[in-house]
Amino acid sequence: MYFRKILSLFISKLLIKFLRLIGRGGTALPGKLALKIYPNILSDLSLGVKSIVVTGTNGKTTTSRIISTILEQASFSYFDNRSGANLISGITTVFIENYKKKPEYALLEVDEAAFKTVAKHIDVHYLLVTNLFRDQLDRFGEISHTLENIVKGISFCPKAVICVNADCSLLSTIGRKVDNKLIYYGINQPFSNTDNSLSDAPYCLFCKTKYEYTYKTFGHLGGFSCPNCGYKRILPDIGVNTIQTMTDKYSKVSLLINNDSLNVSINLPGEYNIYNGISAFSIGYALGIDYEILSNSLATFKGGFGRMENISLNGVDTHIILVKNPAGLNNVINYLSTLSKPFVLTLILNDNFADGTDVSWIWDVLFENLKVNESMISHLYIAGIRKYDMALRIKYALLQEEKITVCETTKQLIKIISNPNLISDTSYILPTYTAMFDLRTVLKKQFKLKEFWK
Amino acid sequence: MKLTIAHLYPELLNLYGDGGNLIAMKNRLNWRNIECDIVNIPLGKPFISSKYDIVFIGGGQDFEQEVILNDLKGDKTQNIIDAINNDVTFLAICGGYQLLGNYYKTKDGQIYNFIGALDLYTIGQSKRMIGDFMYSCPEINNQLVVGFENHSGRTYLGKSVKPLGYIKKGYGNNGEDKTEGARYKNVFCTYSHGSLLPKNPILCDYILQTAVSRKYDITLEELDDSLENKAHNFIANRLK
Ligand SMILES: [Zn+2]
Repeated sequence: MYFRKILSLFISKLLIKFLRLIGRGGTALPGKLALKIYPNILSDLSLGVKSIVVTGTNGKTTTSRIISTILEQASFSYFDNRSGANLISGITTVFIENYKKKPEYALLEVDEAAFKTVAKHIDVHYLLVTNLFRDQLDRFGEISHTLENIVKGISFCPKAVICVNADCSLLSTIGRKVDNKLIYYGINQPFSNTDNSLSDAPYCLFCKTKYEYTYKTFGHLGGFSCPNCGYKRILPDIGVNTIQTMTDKYSKVSLLINNDSLNVSINLPGEYNIYNGISAFSIGYALGIDYEILSNSLATFKGGFGRMENISLNGVDTHIILVKNPAGLNNVINYLSTLSKPFVLTLILNDNFADGTDVSWIWDVLFENLKVNESMISHLYIAGIRKYDMALRIKYALLQEEKITVCETTKQLIKIISNPNLISDTSYILPTYTAMFDLRTVLKKQFKLKEFWK
Repeated sequence: MKLTIAHLYPELLNLYGDGGNLIAMKNRLNWRNIECDIVNIPLGKPFISSKYDIVFIGGGQDFEQEVILNDLKGDKTQNIIDAINNDVTFLAICGGYQLLGNYYKTKDGQIYNFIGALDLYTIGQSKRMIGDFMYSCPEINNQLVVGFENHSGRTYLGKSVKPLGYIKKGYGNNGEDKTEGARYKNVFCTYSHGSLLPKNPILCDYILQTAVSRKYDITLEELDDSLENKAHNFIANRLK
């Protein structure tokens, strides 16, 4: 067995070096190979490392990046899987890369379907579950199965402290199903935009009665209660009491933490990033980190790896925002509808396995809401493997056809959107998962972007 | 001119972008200067069949099935059957399709009695039938219809209903007999969820025409479907 472990480590480390040498992130492959040679490799290497796990449908990466800022500012020794390789193979790779340094903590973004398996191998001390929305149903089956899988994963880490979104009626059921210590966070008031998106969970999970809501933030999140069995939102330990200001750069909110109140600034725009900010805050709170460090981290955090990433392409101010499901994309559309300066919008739709092979989800996205702010959209570009499906969706949302261009290739797209003579306004690019990788590969070469796995 | 579409159980049966079918029907009517109202019939709201020209029923998660079966007790079941017999146009997808049949037998052998408007039944299994699929429809000159299926139920047709099409790629009704969907009077049933109608404009117009013809003596004029056809052909070519 010992021999297999050494062999497994040796080969996978060699592979990591080789893949970097040829300019590929290679984040999943080495771990995959290592697990094949020695299936206990992850359990062995993670022994004695306290894992902080972030899972859920939306906001995993942004939240993980905020938590990593918190850990840095609080001087914790840790490593993370910041390339976003969030299945067991990618997580094994980062443990292989870091086993000699022996940091105290591992900060891991884990795919919500993979969590059950990963939790068996590693020592989860803190778990954050951000939210549950419909996502790539062709892969996960039904949303309640995803919830069951998360609960099963928690059974492998009975000592873990769990931070959970109090506004999510699906996730909040965890409180009745496990004995772990729970910390709830949430938003105690509706967002300014009236939410008209579909609810993924209109009926009580316990008795199938329709929930009543005192307010909604978005989707099925909000002040829910079941009039029949009494299941309802729990007043969170960390709650946003008022949203003071929202700009296109940051939001200021006032938090109620048990009985303390605290004003914090979240250095990312958009309502959904308020959730990301306070969920990261709740993990910091669980770790016993000072409020001052926490609020400073939230105020200074800079987005990374595709989630609201800000880059300059030949001087064109460009924002890249990963989109992968209706809830997430609806949030971005809400954000875009608040912009008061003209902008260029690019949508890139792929249907590889990691994107979800079923592109029907775009018909659940309220692209019609772009019409509210249509005068600010100077042009709309569409690309990706399923560009015609996306173009069709936009046609049926009745946006002005003369503003729409379908690009045959990523190269052709980049040629246009990095040309300051053509693009004088801020540019927003919304790619799906593998579309973002394709985009970055080309951008990296042309504009010397930072290697994403560093 | 105006058509009214009833959307049955929109809060429950709305999986996988089924709303795209409503968006397609409404726009394609509007583009021919026919108004289109969409009326939601959620749980608890009566369904008065004489008010509607088209009834749309989408797909749902298993969890929600029992809630619907409770609501169907009472008048709703009979009203749906009456509407079908009065040649109202129905489009039923996946779970909605199964619901119009006689029963659903779970893989554990439990039987749920359904509406029974169409002579067909469904048997649950654990293996899901998932993926892009393609079938030819005899009623539209054997044109190919493309879509995405994602279901675990296998549906078997009785003698009085015909299949909507014949499988070229994928599983269809049960993965065995090459049939896909069901046809009966003006009822169209399919396992093709999500953006079925936007990407298959010929089928969309054929369905719309059945509803239009019940009310007005007109033939729907042609539209510029070049983008629709590009989206259709992309996936059709991949499946060939
Ligand atoms: Zn209840």
